[in-house]
Amino acid sequence: MTTAATAPETLPLFGAPRDEPETAALVREAASRGTRLRLVGGGTWAGGGRPVRADATLRLSALHGIVDYVPGDLTLTARAGTPLSEIARVTAAERQLLALDPFGDAAGTIGATVATASVGPLAHAFGGPRDNVLGLAFVTGTGDVVRAGGRVVKNVAGFDLVRLLTGAWGTLGALTEVSVRLRALPEVDATVAVALPSVRELDAWLARLRAASLAAWALELVNAPLATQLDAGDRALLLARLAGNASAVDAQRATLATLGDLRELPPDVWARLRGCEPADAIVARISARPSRLAALCAELFAPAARAFGLMAHASVTRGVVRFVLPGADGFGMPRASAPATDAPPVRRVLERAPAALWPMLAADWSAPRATDALSRRVRAAFDPHGLLNPGAMDAPDAGPAASS
Amino acid sequence: MAAHTAEIGGHALDADALARVAAALTAIVGERHVLRRPSALRVYDSDGLPGYHRQPALAVLPGTRDELVAVVRALAAEGAPFVARGAGTGLSGGSLADGIVVVGLNRLNRIVSIDAENALAVVEPGVVNVTLTRAVAPYGLHYAPDPSSQSACTIGGNVAENAGGPHCLKYGVTLNHVAAVTVLLPSGEIVTLGDADGEDDGYDLLGAFVGSEGCFGIALDVTVRLARDPQAVRTLLADFADMDDAARAVSRIIAAGIVPAALEMMDGAAIRAVEASIYAAGYPTDAAAILLCELDGLAAGLDEDAARVAALCRAEGARDVAVASDAAQRARLWQGRKKAFGAMGRIAPHLVLQDAVVPRTRLPAVLARIAEIGASHGVRIGNVFHAGDGNLHPNISYDAHDADESARVHAAMSEVMQACIDAGGTITGEHGVGLDKRDYMDALFDAPSLAAMCRLRDVFDPERRANPGKVVPVHACREWHATPAVRRHAGAAS
Ligand SMILES: Cc1cc2nc3c(=O)[nH]c(=O)nc-3n(C[C@H](O)[C@H](O)[C@@H](O)COP(=O)(O)OP(=O)(O)OC[C@H]3O[C@@H](n4cnc5c(N)ncnc54)[C@H](O)[C@@H]3O)c2cc1C
Ligand SMILES: Cc1cc2nc3c(=O)[nH]c(=O)nc-3n(C[C@H](O)[C@H](O)[C@H](O)COP(=O)(O)OP(=O)(O)OC[C@H]3O[C@@H](n4cnc5c(N)ncnc54)[C@H](O)[C@@H]3O)c2cc1C
Repeated sequence: MTTAATAPETLPLFGAPRDEPETAALVREAASRGTRLRLVGGGTWAGGGRPVRADATLRLSALHGIVDYVPGDLTLTARAGTPLSEIARVTAAERQLLALDPFGDAAGTIGATVATASVGPLAHAFGGPRDNVLGLAFVTGTGDVVRAGGRVVKNVAGFDLVRLLTGAWGTLGALTEVSVRLRALPEVDATVAVALPSVRELDAWLARLRAASLAAWALELVNAPLATQLDAGDRALLLARLAGNASAVDAQRATLATLGDLRELPPDVWARLRGCEPADAIVARISARPSRLAALCAELFAPAARAFGLMAHASVTRGVVRFVLPGADGFGMPRASAPATDAPPVRRVLERAPAALWPMLAADWSAPRATDALSRRVRAAFDPHGLLNPGAMDAPDAGPAASS
Repeated sequence: MAAHTAEIGGHALDADALARVAAALTAIVGERHVLRRPSALRVYDSDGLPGYHRQPALAVLPGTRDELVAVVRALAAEGAPFVARGAGTGLSGGSLADGIVVVGLNRLNRIVSIDAENALAVVEPGVVNVTLTRAVAPYGLHYAPDPSSQSACTIGGNVAENAGGPHCLKYGVTLNHVAAVTVLLPSGEIVTLGDADGEDDGYDLLGAFVGSEGCFGIALDVTVRLARDPQAVRTLLADFADMDDAARAVSRIIAAGIVPAALEMMDGAAIRAVEASIYAAGYPTDAAAILLCELDGLAAGLDEDAARVAALCRAEGARDVAVASDAAQRARLWQGRKKAFGAMGRIAPHLVLQDAVVPRTRLPAVLARIAEIGASHGVRIGNVFHAGDGNLHPNISYDAHDADESARVHAAMSEVMQACIDAGGTITGEHGVGLDKRDYMDALFDAPSLAAMCRLRDVFDPERRANPGKVVPVHACREWHATPAVRRHAGAAS
């Protein structure tokens, strides 16, 4: 069978290094033996089921701990296997936070978050890992230890390996250490919900929302089934995280109140949103220019979605809709057939699917990944033998050849 | 500022190759736009970095995108190395060309399209930074990265350097404002990096290209993200009798959870230079340092934040904090800052301006160390910088023709850079490594890390013909001598 991705739990453990030199030694050993490695951090996500074909697992969770934290500089350096929850706890004590809130479990690691470039609602204000990572260290597929970037908030010394490794899914190197910038918590951090109008009125409504003067940390649309899941009622909502001093937050509340019924919500709604996805689910995202968001929402926010329990949410500024389809069979998966040629472009990415469904779903849903000539050359430059997470960045429809 | 004699790449074109290249380029752009006479090339023999002069073999000035593509393909056919050049305001010697071809991009200065609804614009590389902001102002938008050179520097140059500027503290550097770039690879191939239409998956090649200092190819067009104009702005000027106090105030403001749009520091020498020039802004001439702090965003709550900033400055010893009362006063306060280097440049024949970053909390210690270094070499090191980012611009006014003074300036700057590295910082926050700071790279990165940078470069430009010899020291690129371009032109430089 050509597509069989190797499930992480069935792979033998190649090693669980406790520090960087050990990681490098293990990768060198794997290189000398030609052993293909599946990298695992906290193991909460396993790449969403991507068709990685490996011989053994390299567990990176023992690369653990905060190396350096200077609250006055708002910078922190941690080993890659450090869970986000630990970073959150340490920084909260100084009224600071790392503005990365990817979906999933807070037991997820900083290394995996950077490797997958996973983002959550805070990306509205702070961008994703590429905007928050200052420096990192990694072990290439040949076992070299490379340090890139630094620990200061501005740095253009040399070619940018930090951005290159961010979102590379471990295929260019195993991250061992990450330096990030932090944000100071505002005086007031409030979460409110505003009822959405009907899908028909959404376009005009979003235009008003975008024109409104807000300084929100997150602005996320949520469809009705997801609102129910979040204990936030049974209608589609805008969730807004408002930050600033008391006057600034009050003014933003007043602005949002002109757009619809406004309610205060407990701040844990964001954690619930990040954890909304059941253990069995298919997850994908669609994006386009933000002006197309209402059109993208039309199907996923429509009442019919409820029949399948399809949960969807969308970032207002980024123009990205992410949806979660409970169940592993793909039943009720929205049609993603090619748009009419004159339709504006849309980008589709499959985030998660059972390994067995990847080939079928990804061919329809995922834009080709690292298949262009430059990307192939990048991969060859850092992992010439294709040992690290092979398959994780391959084109979904590349078929068996992709694994050679 | 490494030795003025720093070698670039050492593979200039020989006379025959040059003649063939000149003929090919002339056929593309016409006689008028291929410059070969030394007098005509003088404009291109230096950039914003003082003391360095390199004579290009020729300069070609394409007028359209098609011409540019044809030019680069002609250069590829000949295996000829080249340097892209925007406005030449770079401060690290990045656009110096030693016996090779300069590709001048100033004529490619069209704003191709503006999508106000999605706050995006597509521009040619030679568009001047401030021109873009002026063009989108009617939509209530602006282009956020605002280097102090914004009235001259180009978007292409900004992308190549990942340029910053005062407002990057809150709004981020160039990379945060670029959605996509169409790149003309040195081979003549065209690729699009990034995606303005949605969020794709795949390697962040756009992130790798931004800041690659002209070594990965030429930006043919750039899709930038525009920023909405803030509802309100407050500009404060805090006056300190002690530079340490000002440096501590910087950390206090940021730690308080207030993110100013800009937080700039100028020392006494810079203040006096500005006040003695036509850019006089009304700064207190007896101050040891001033902080220029701009807050912007929602109108509501802005005065409270301004009051807190003022109180924090006073708590750290500010003698006075003034708030600009109207747009004209605000513009005047900024004019002084933006023209500070120009004003200082008039004091002595040359101004060397460095660019390093240190952790914010180390500012007081590093500023003290810089003063010490200056004193020990008998030079006066000034400081005008993006304090909120810890992005220092130590500078010295001097006479580059005075060999003794030049040597002292050089020695002092080397020590300053080392002091910044020792403090946990880096050797450039926005001006790039170029030629000037290439020799400090070894102090910052070990051999495998530099080699990895070389490998990334080789992905885009395997022959290393784009801006050869810049950024990464040649010895760090292990396979350097094996590259075809070097082999082909080996020995031709003599
Ligand atoms: C229920 C759930 C839903 C999620 N939904 C999404 C989603 O929709 N979109 C999305 O992008 N992310 C999603 N994530 C992933 C998550 O946001 C982060 O990527 C992260 O928290 C996972 O951490 P981990 O350490 O458990 O990763 P793991 O499961 O251990 O690994 C995740 C991926 O990162 C790679 N990796 C791990 N550590 C390293 C390292 N040190 N160096 C290089 N590569 C490494 C692995 O090879 C694997 O491909 C979800 C996670 C969960 C648990
Ligand atoms: C008074 C003064 C103040 C300054 N203030 C700041 C500041 O606040 N912040 C800051 O970041 N910088 C500042 N600078 C530095 C300089 O303006 C920036 O580095 C700017 O980005 C250079 O743009 P340019 O068009 O002049 O590029 P050039 O100097 O012509 O070129 C710079 C580099 O970019 C490459 N390049 C140019 N165009 C392209 C292209 N289209 N494609 C690929 N490569 C290209 C060149 O090869 C070269 O390596 C200042 C300079 C001066 C003189």
